[in-house]
Amino acid sequence: MAVNELKNQIRRLRFENSEMTQQQLADKVGVTRQTIIALEAGKYAPSLLLAFRIARTFAVTIEQVFQYEDG
Amino acid sequence: MNKTQKGAWCILIDSLFLILFGILLFTEIVILKNLFTSLHRFIALLLFSFMVPLFIFLRKKQSTAEVESDERDRLITKRAILVSFVSVWVLLAAVCIIPRFIVGYTGSIPVWVLSVINFAIFLIAMFIYSAAILIQYGWRGKDGGK
Repeated sequence: MAVNELKNQIRRLRFENSEMTQQQLADKVGVTRQTIIALEAGKYAPSLLLAFRIARTFAVTIEQVFQYEDG
Repeated sequence: MNKTQKGAWCILIDSLFLILFGILLFTEIVILKNLFTSLHRFIALLLFSFMVPLFIFLRKKQSTAEVESDERDRLITKRAILVSFVSVWVLLAAVCIIPRFIVGYTGSIPVWVLSVINFAIFLIAMFIYSAAILIQYGWRGKDGGK
């Protein structure tokens, strides 16, 4: 069975955006820091709404933040 | 550590204390036929004195902009509720079967035991609920959260 993975660039984008901390990003998108940690570690797939909020915070498209990979 | 995790720790510790205190009271008063002694009062006081700092800890925030809970917390809580709900049914089934082996098919038990059983099931369900939340978060915030 193929393993599908949702990869993300949140960590890289945070550092490219004046080294934004996880707490700052969490406060901007309205989630807890633990959720950002889980997202960065690939342990949690966000809702579409949260994905849009994160992309908008970094002023990029969703595809630039999240990549769906067929394993 | 966010509010859901803190709440789960509070429930876990409180339910564990109440379960242990209940076992102690049951053993002392029902099995050993002792009265409610000063030791029991001391343990009860200790139990309640533990609850106060727990609630202060629950209210403390990491940052002023920190949200109370988010979509992941709600998902984790939902799964934990499902697990504790299933555990209640399993415990109820066990409670219906186990007395049969202890007092027999035609035996009887005092009415107050039913209240104790109901309360014990509630405490165990709360314990399972909080443990399920903490396991999903990775106990001590293994995923990096403090």
